[in-house]
Amino acid sequence: MTAKLDSESSLQRLYGRIGLRDAAKSRRHLSDYLFRIILGILVVIIVLPFFLILIQVTGVGFSQVFGTGPGQGLEFLSTFPGAGLMGGIRNAFVGTVELIILASIVGIPLSVCGAAYIIEYTRPGRIREIIEFTSDVLAGIPSIVLGAFGFAFLVDFLHLGMGIVAGSLTLAFMMIPTILRTTEEALRAVPMSLREASLALGATKWSTTWSVTLRAAFPGVITGVLLAVGRVMGETAPLIFTAGNSLIVPTELTGPGSWVASMPYTIWAYISDPREYLQVKAHGTALALMMMVLAVDLIANLISRKVTRRIV
Amino acid sequence: MVEQNESANIKDDEANRALMTSVRGAFFKSISDFRNADRPGKIDRIGRIGLLVPAVASTLIIVLILAFLWYESVPIFVSPIGGPGIIVSPTWDPNRDLYGIAIFIVGSLMCTGIAVGLAVPLGIGGALFLSEFCPIRLRQPIKMIIEMMAAIPSIVYGLWAYLVLVPFVKNNIAPLAQSTSNGLSLLAGGLILAIMLLPTVVTISADALQTVPMSFREASLALGATQSETSRKVVLSAALPGVGAAVVLSLGRAVGETMAVLMVTGNSLQIPYSLFDPTYVMTSIITNQLGYAFVFPLWRSALFAVAFILLIMSVCFTLTAKLFIRWGMKTRGYI
Repeated sequence: MTAKLDSESSLQRLYGRIGLRDAAKSRRHLSDYLFRIILGILVVIIVLPFFLILIQVTGVGFSQVFGTGPGQGLEFLSTFPGAGLMGGIRNAFVGTVELIILASIVGIPLSVCGAAYIIEYTRPGRIREIIEFTSDVLAGIPSIVLGAFGFAFLVDFLHLGMGIVAGSLTLAFMMIPTILRTTEEALRAVPMSLREASLALGATKWSTTWSVTLRAAFPGVITGVLLAVGRVMGETAPLIFTAGNSLIVPTELTGPGSWVASMPYTIWAYISDPREYLQVKAHGTALALMMMVLAVDLIANLISRKVTRRIV
Repeated sequence: MVEQNESANIKDDEANRALMTSVRGAFFKSISDFRNADRPGKIDRIGRIGLLVPAVASTLIIVLILAFLWYESVPIFVSPIGGPGIIVSPTWDPNRDLYGIAIFIVGSLMCTGIAVGLAVPLGIGGALFLSEFCPIRLRQPIKMIIEMMAAIPSIVYGLWAYLVLVPFVKNNIAPLAQSTSNGLSLLAGGLILAIMLLPTVVTISADALQTVPMSFREASLALGATQSETSRKVVLSAALPGVGAAVVLSLGRAVGETMAVLMVTGNSLQIPYSLFDPTYVMTSIITNQLGYAFVFPLWRSALFAVAFILLIMSVCFTLTAKLFIRWGMKTRGYI
């Protein structure tokens, strides 16, 4: 037996491993084989752009973000653009962080409490369907339409003016559907026995929801929050008409002093600029932004995987 | 007749009064309940109301968005200069008070058509591979890469498309078709949109394919079908509603995509006659001109009309995706 196996040439063994031997059996086997190969090629085509983008952005922007020369590395993130935009992108970096923090302060409580009300206080039926449907619609609204709405409602109608408040409120609107739906899923996965035990001990509905159910669903909630933050961090369109742009960090909450730059907006502004060195800075900003977004996404992924493993 | 009416009125009155007293009674009762409750009980009652407000927040925002976009776009629809005819009128020239938005709708639809035409077959093929044929060791990394692709900001896609894809179209694809182009074209827009849609299509379709019960596959294989026949004719058709939802959702994303398309389509006010002509899409015109237009009532209103149409389109797509899923629930029961 072993002698027979040994007598097989390595080429034949390779054919056997990749299924070519089966493919030669009949026409149906051949078409099966070809179908598999084509699908494999399709997957390669699908993931190829990811690497092409990574190569382009890293190739040009690497020295900006990781280099050690003047104006590179940490200095790139910690100096203001200054005259002729020769400096770093501190305005954009700080602006993005501030926008995200303010948006989270508004968006997270709204969506987590909303999800808690839907799951804990309403029966399945009309109200729940309406709220879920509207949050799905909100998730599908084009970002520029949200930007136009933010401009018409927050900037113009409420007289907030462009700036950090209007910008972060618009971003908060974008965060709501993602967090709401993930929190709902997480709350649904909490076993009913936990709630029953808490209620049987005489706890009110509120303290059951607050300190038992939400506590148990916490990892799921965090996953949703991180996904939403990652999504919102890279949005340009809603900020164009609501946050303005600025070369320094905002100094006040209203008025022209509150205009704020963000990393995506800076990429757009720099890439549309004909000056050569700004292209490099745009790549550096894009690389930094991509690393932030992918890091947030990766953490969300890890947490959610841990959670599913614990539940299953 | 009159008597009957009167008696009906009296009855109505009585019913109303009864209702009022019961409502009032419930209200007062809840107040007195609240007074009598201890501290945890009070917190419970306040908390219930406090949670109701965030729950209706998303609904409220949607209503506000609809109301404001409608309120802002009414002037152009009622003015004699514009009117509802702007939807089919092809000339956009705010200096001459011509606000036809047909070219943007056509541009958006063409870009979306190219993108969806490319992304749907590719994406469904990829999803089939991931859920049916992929070696278990490769599945997790591929899924992770595709999720990362979904997370890349659209401005980064735009940057790459502007610097790599546009020259590629100009130097490599346009000469192939024996045509000249500066690269900023309908085709570049469609290509980058297709790349951006792929993660959505793949992830949602793969999820739908994986909900198909294993017994379907086993039955088909036991009847002698090959694996590819099983995946095409049994698994794919069983998961059709979910795949349909994926396609519709990706349509919605394609129409609403802003930054990447803005940077590569050339933004020229003409209806494209070939793949290599520049075009102008609905999202781009809002992004480019709202900043200048907001002091001119009609111009601004026309831009908000574009946004309103975009909003209606995206609501329709979401609704259709929901219908697909409901169809799946009804006929399959496992999606």
